[in-house]
Amino acid sequence: MAENSVLPPDLSLVLERITDGFFALDAQWRIAYMNAEARKLLQAPRDAIGEFWLEAFPLARGRLFEREYHRAMRDQQPVQFVEYSKTANLWFEVKAYPSPDGISVYFRDVSSRIEAQREIERNARRQQALIDFGRTALAGSSFDQIVNDALDLVRDVLETPIADVLDFDADEQRFAVRRSLGWGAYAAFDPSRPLVAHLEQVVRTGEPFVCADVRIDPRARALAQLQHNNVLSCVAVLIGTSAQPQGVIVVYYPLTRTFSVGDVRFVQAVAQTVAETANALESNRRMAQVLESIRDAFVAVDRDLRITYVNSQMARYWNVAPADVIGRRLEEYTAHFDVEGVALRSFKEALANEHSMTYENRVRGRWYETRLYPFANGVAAYVRDVTRRKREQERILNINAELERRVAQRTRQLEIANNELESFSYSVSHDLRAPLRAIDGFSQALVEDYGDVLDERGRGYSERVRKAAQRMADLIDALLRLAKVARAPMTFAEVDLSALATTVVEDLREGDPERPVAVTVEPGLTATGESHLLAIVLQNLIGNAWKFTRRCDRPAIAVGRDPQGEFFVRDNGAGFDMAYGNKLFGAFQRLHSADEYEGTGIGLATVARIVHRHGGSIRAEGAIGEGATFYFTLPGSKD
Amino acid sequence: MSKPYILLVEDNPDDVELTQRAFAKNHIINDIVVLSDGAAACEFLFNETARGRALPQVILLDLKLPKISGLEVLERIRADASTRLIPTVILTSSKQEEDLLEGYRLGVNSYVRKPVDFNEFVEAVRQVGLYWLVLNEPPPGVGGGGM
Repeated sequence: MAENSVLPPDLSLVLERITDGFFALDAQWRIAYMNAEARKLLQAPRDAIGEFWLEAFPLARGRLFEREYHRAMRDQQPVQFVEYSKTANLWFEVKAYPSPDGISVYFRDVSSRIEAQREIERNARRQQALIDFGRTALAGSSFDQIVNDALDLVRDVLETPIADVLDFDADEQRFAVRRSLGWGAYAAFDPSRPLVAHLEQVVRTGEPFVCADVRIDPRARALAQLQHNNVLSCVAVLIGTSAQPQGVIVVYYPLTRTFSVGDVRFVQAVAQTVAETANALESNRRMAQVLESIRDAFVAVDRDLRITYVNSQMARYWNVAPADVIGRRLEEYTAHFDVEGVALRSFKEALANEHSMTYENRVRGRWYETRLYPFANGVAAYVRDVTRRKREQERILNINAELERRVAQRTRQLEIANNELESFSYSVSHDLRAPLRAIDGFSQALVEDYGDVLDERGRGYSERVRKAAQRMADLIDALLRLAKVARAPMTFAEVDLSALATTVVEDLREGDPERPVAVTVEPGLTATGESHLLAIVLQNLIGNAWKFTRRCDRPAIAVGRDPQGEFFVRDNGAGFDMAYGNKLFGAFQRLHSADEYEGTGIGLATVARIVHRHGGSIRAEGAIGEGATFYFTLPGSKD
Repeated sequence: MSKPYILLVEDNPDDVELTQRAFAKNHIINDIVVLSDGAAACEFLFNETARGRALPQVILLDLKLPKISGLEVLERIRADASTRLIPTVILTSSKQEEDLLEGYRLGVNSYVRKPVDFNEFVEAVRQVGLYWLVLNEPPPGVGGGGM
């Protein structure tokens, strides 16, 4: 006890019991006392008492221990600090209390706490490093650059000199070196050799391979056979998934080493970033391929209208290299041709409304159509040269304008012709009739006033002159009616043909009450048309039937509609020779002599004209002595 | 006051003669004043000398007249206070719808189309004469009947 201490024995007993290490130095920095815990922690010999403390613990020289104790003595103030002891290979938390006679030092091992702290800090640093790597990888230009960065990162963080990235070809089931770092003079691991069972397992299972000592691990026989000192332990992790393995990252350490879970997780995280970046690059590459293959020019901008992508077609329009414009503002490239600001306005509008839109503009004499598609982070724009289409449109517009001009001109000419026809009709009705009246009137006057100098034959001639004049007057009236039918404005309405036909028949009976004609009119015949004109049709057709049945024993007329929807007027009268059927509907065409049946020869022409103006057709069937049937259609009519 | 008379405005001499003949056949012996164009008719009806003259019992007006058309003459007759009450009959070859409508719109009393058949013409003139010269009670100031 006395050897241990200059202190009274009872105090010494207390100090021996405390769990902290404790020692005391005298005013000459000699060790005055040291408890058992201190000797244990510092692995100090028993005879250290009385020794100068820095000679007993030379590794404390120049460190916080020396500096803080001296400060405490100088200031006569207690000090407290944490420092790593090279003597003990432990972290100590130290409290020192000075007095004029010396200094008392209490210390304890806080290594586990400090290590935990350092682990937390290390993890935080790794986390940050991963984030930074992820960011660089996303912005990275090439995959090889990213692989290189990944290897630098794992070597740096895990403090291992050597690392590889191997590609895995799933079709060939083979590895190939993409990048090896740190092998120096030694031959790198050759993955083409057949002994890669440990890596194949990683690819197959997705589980990392962790080996602390290749010499005693049977799975790592291939590594052991490298037979050099650089590789004694390693970690291999999968890039990608076991379903879609892309490759492995392998980290080698020259000493035996038990890699921590955190170490392995870190390498896995790097591998994941590499895989994601590879996928993103691949999809970008595919996207770029698509965007390059389309004939449209393409540009994508972010929400600030900064360019994020252009395809080569767009770059050609702008006369720039695609890489030079990334990150620049859109208007730098559009301003010089977007004079009216259409492009910029449209981009902003598409962004604001989140609506796709299209605009056309003209640049250096060519027309471009731009379609804008807003998405979450910006707008994609496809630009197409539509000059040819535009010119075609313009040409068509011109042709249309020319056509309209010609139609207008033709219409004017028609109007003029119509007006001329109008005044012609007017003249006919006035001027042609006046001489006829004179012919008729004076013929009669001749007979009346000079009948005594005319014989029977002379009076007969006069009568013929008058008949001829009357006939010509009838012809003029018929012609005027035909002209009127052609020009009359048409107001379409539902017309009751049965009622019209019945009226016509009643008029005929009234004018010719002696004739026993059997007439049947099918009830409920309706048509869509101009009722005045359709009345003229029926007047003529039924009138003809009435006329041409004059010589029949049992005259009969039927008005109806056949199953095909054609209206018809049928009689059992004189009929006609079908050989001349085509002459029926021409003006002044007659199949009967005026002696047999009177008529102007214009009635059926008028009928045909009316039917045609309704978009319908008319035809006739008959035979001499067997009657005639006139069929006509009115397309607007309901069946 | 001069004798009651009929005013016939007609440019075609054949029609004039036939009309006169038709009147004669119907024993209408009223004087007939014939004017051969629209301008002459207006001159006759509206100039200074017309003031002292009796108005015609009836005016028979052709439509197609030289210088001033029949419809225009009609319009002036109806526009002038001194002539607006004279019975006026359009006697024409035309039965164009526009002419008919315009004639009635301007206030014509009758519209007669001259038939080509002289017998029918005589009949038409007879009816016109019977109605306007005999049956019809003319407004005051217009020449009285005189068959």
